[in-house]
Amino acid sequence: MHGSAFRHKLLTVLLLAPATVWLVVFLVLPFVAIVVFSVGERAPEGGYQAAFTMAQYANLPARATAFWNTLILAPVGAFACLLVAYPVAYYLALRAPERWRLILLALIVIPFWTSLLMRTYAWMYILGGRGIPALLSYIGIEDLRLINTPGAVLLGIVYGYLPLMILPIYVSLERLDRRLLEASADLGAKPLSTFVGVTLRLSLPGVMTGLSLVMILLLGEYLIPSLLGGGKVFFIGNALVDLFLQSRNWPFGSAIAVTLVFVSVVVLIIANRVSTRFSGARQVDLI
Amino acid sequence: MSKSYRDGLPITSEEFVSQLMRLKRGSIGRRDFLGLTGLGIATAVLGRELGLSPTPVNAAENLGDRMSIATWPNYHDPATFENFTKDTGVAVQVNVFGSNEEMLAKLQAGGSGWSLYVPTNYTISTYKKLDIIEPLDMSKLGNFDSKSEDGRFTAEGAIDGVVYAVPKNWGTTGFAVNTKKLAKPMTTWKDFWDVAMAEGDGRTMVHDYQLTTIGNALKYFGFSFNSLKSDELAKAEELLIKAKPHLFAVSSDYQPPMRAGDAWMTMCWTNDGAQLNRDIPDIAYVLGKEGGEIWTDFYAIPKDAPNKPAGYALLNYLMNPQVAVKEHLANGAPSTDARVNALLPKEVLDNPILYPAADLLSPLEFGAAATLTDPARAELMARFKSA
Amino acid sequence: MRAFIVAVFAFLYLPIALVVLFSLNAGRHASELTGFSTQWYGKALANPFLVEALKNSLFIATTSALLAAVFGTAAALGLARVNIRTRTIFDALLGAAIVVPGVVIGISTLVALVQLFAVVNPFVASIWPGSTPPRLALGYGSIVAAHGLFSMALVSMIVRTRLGSLDRNLVEASSDLYATPLTTFHSIVLPQIMPAILAGFLLAFTFSFDDFIIAFFVAGAQTTLPIYVFASIRRGITPEINAIATIVLCASVLMVVFAQLLLRKTKPSH
Repeated sequence: MHGSAFRHKLLTVLLLAPATVWLVVFLVLPFVAIVVFSVGERAPEGGYQAAFTMAQYANLPARATAFWNTLILAPVGAFACLLVAYPVAYYLALRAPERWRLILLALIVIPFWTSLLMRTYAWMYILGGRGIPALLSYIGIEDLRLINTPGAVLLGIVYGYLPLMILPIYVSLERLDRRLLEASADLGAKPLSTFVGVTLRLSLPGVMTGLSLVMILLLGEYLIPSLLGGGKVFFIGNALVDLFLQSRNWPFGSAIAVTLVFVSVVVLIIANRVSTRFSGARQVDLI
Repeated sequence: MSKSYRDGLPITSEEFVSQLMRLKRGSIGRRDFLGLTGLGIATAVLGRELGLSPTPVNAAENLGDRMSIATWPNYHDPATFENFTKDTGVAVQVNVFGSNEEMLAKLQAGGSGWSLYVPTNYTISTYKKLDIIEPLDMSKLGNFDSKSEDGRFTAEGAIDGVVYAVPKNWGTTGFAVNTKKLAKPMTTWKDFWDVAMAEGDGRTMVHDYQLTTIGNALKYFGFSFNSLKSDELAKAEELLIKAKPHLFAVSSDYQPPMRAGDAWMTMCWTNDGAQLNRDIPDIAYVLGKEGGEIWTDFYAIPKDAPNKPAGYALLNYLMNPQVAVKEHLANGAPSTDARVNALLPKEVLDNPILYPAADLLSPLEFGAAATLTDPARAELMARFKSA
Repeated sequence: MRAFIVAVFAFLYLPIALVVLFSLNAGRHASELTGFSTQWYGKALANPFLVEALKNSLFIATTSALLAAVFGTAAALGLARVNIRTRTIFDALLGAAIVVPGVVIGISTLVALVQLFAVVNPFVASIWPGSTPPRLALGYGSIVAAHGLFSMALVSMIVRTRLGSLDRNLVEASSDLYATPLTTFHSIVLPQIMPAILAGFLLAFTFSFDDFIIAFFVAGAQTTLPIYVFASIRRGITPEINAIATIVLCASVLMVVFAQLLLRKTKPSH
């Protein structure tokens, strides 16, 4: 009996050992490292020099705009994504002909397999002077500027994250019991009130999953603002990279990284609260 | 290119003029022009006569099959590297950077993978101090001739008699204006910033580079380009933050948006100014009357270079005046090497973008080493970008 | 409604169409269409740096996804056997691995590894008998590890959800019939969680193959395809890059079609 209990324990330990080592070496240790760095000082030529100071955290307001941009554009981007994604998911789950559904779903996922960088670069071309502005100048609209604006960044965000928003909503709509819709109609509800009262309500878990997924990913976004924002629309991710690649201020960069992790966790907790409140259920699992 | 200058085909004077006009309109590149008109073979013959032919690369040394170089945007004739690969079998990967800080950060972090890079004059002492730059073995650089170099531009390559870097070219930092869009004549950095916030609203670019962006904002008030004084930097920051919402972009790769018509005015280095003006004559290059930067870019080898033999081989290849003159024609910045200048056509030597008048040159300052590592300037730039 | 759907699909595919179109460009720049040619496909495949970047990306994505699939599944199975306190700790860590932004993962891994190497390398050198001691450096290992962190957490979460809906009766029946735990695992559990493991592997592969920001910081001198593309955007993209992107796109579409056909064959009931 003792032998079997021991074997049971040993197997558990063996199963968990690789994950534990991985989590400790590549998650916990790096986090400890940036916490330690964040109370240090910038070395004279840049980099890190040991110290114990809160100066880096005191300097956080110097990046208030970047934090603010992120905290505004992340939810705005996520909601813009939702507005475009919902009708698509609705159509796919409830309206699309059966034999088309799989193909359409595949078509949603396929863009994921072309490098996001390349697709964003294509947008740089479309929004740049040789793209849409050049076409518009044929019909007399001159000197329109699209690239390097918050609008361009927002468009890039909607484009890049659309599939991530469509899929969870699709999953929750697809699981919807159609008899509920019929019952609602049988009981004389108008289509709109059926939609609001039944469809929308029952798809809320999917909506909340999509929203928090996209929002969390946007908090650390770097590429889209740097390519479509021209170094003008700065997210906190851009400010962070800049501190490591240009001003070589590792301690301040570490302090911002620690803060960003903190903000992400807070946003996630709020998203979870809101989602349980609205949907009364846990979020949708994507599989 | 169907006709190569190697064919050595004669060309009629009419053809020559029409090719020259095409070149001026920018529809063919310098290299094609040289090839089509046979000027290339003329310079090659001339070179041989003057004893300037390339020293053959030391075949005994194993150069490997690839190397990587860190340099600046639009800074080389792509054919240079293709020819080097043809001659040596070493493929060259070109990495492009927008500021010396970015190069320094990459080298400080280690594992940059570069075997050659292009630092600016004032940064070399810092690389030496950090011990990440290779003292050059001059015996491997037979094509370099210190006697033909202009001492004004080359001094900072050597420290305590040891050569760490050899010059590529020199130049100035001014601004380029699309005169079709911004007709108002501009001559000063004050004009640049004022127009950026008025007629040039949403169409002006500044470098993603603290030295020039802060330096040229300092010039608005007539302060030194290299100032480290906190009150002067504070005024520069105020101007930068005020201008930020009016800018098109903060980026050191301004040629594409200037060519596409997205940007109308930009801070600009000599070489880019010359390239833009060559292809689009409406784009003018202006040196601020208040002054600004004069610089020399060097070639250097990082201490942890993964392929030093190839780094030396490419550097020696680039020091060959025959190669350098073609590089120069593509890049457009003035050379520091008298041997190269001797091979240049007259219209290049007369180009005021490359060789500004003395009264414009004299107030210019070389970058100061302290600006590279000064934490206040670094943080000011970062604040400006994230504002 | 239809019109809107069509518009959304057009929006999704417009940039992709442009990428493919410019891969057939005759000219040197990926911004001006000057005629059609397939020369860039040949040039792309002859460019040693581009091919190496592609190979690196494939190698890194495969390795990190495989490791993540194995260790993530092991963790999911292990977590089903521990008490609630241990599970909560693991839940928090795995959740953190997913939530912490990539840019922070990249930077903090860089910071930690650089410090670690600064300690380990001189130590190894001091006790090494030979003249060229091994040196730890950023490279394949660090990218695989950093990608694998996120992927492993992802796989373990997906597999755990699947384990939760596992038919317990079957497992019990199996052990009632005196099957060894290994046999039970092999013939009852594994087949049921296999789709989840595969889904996790695919997601992990896709994530690693397309990741730029983490690799950007921990790659050292190695180049992955996204890093190469990013560098190319800065020096002016040539249609070579479009050609490679098009090849990758076609390969993955073919793979999906192939997988679908295979699934249909093995599962005629659907």
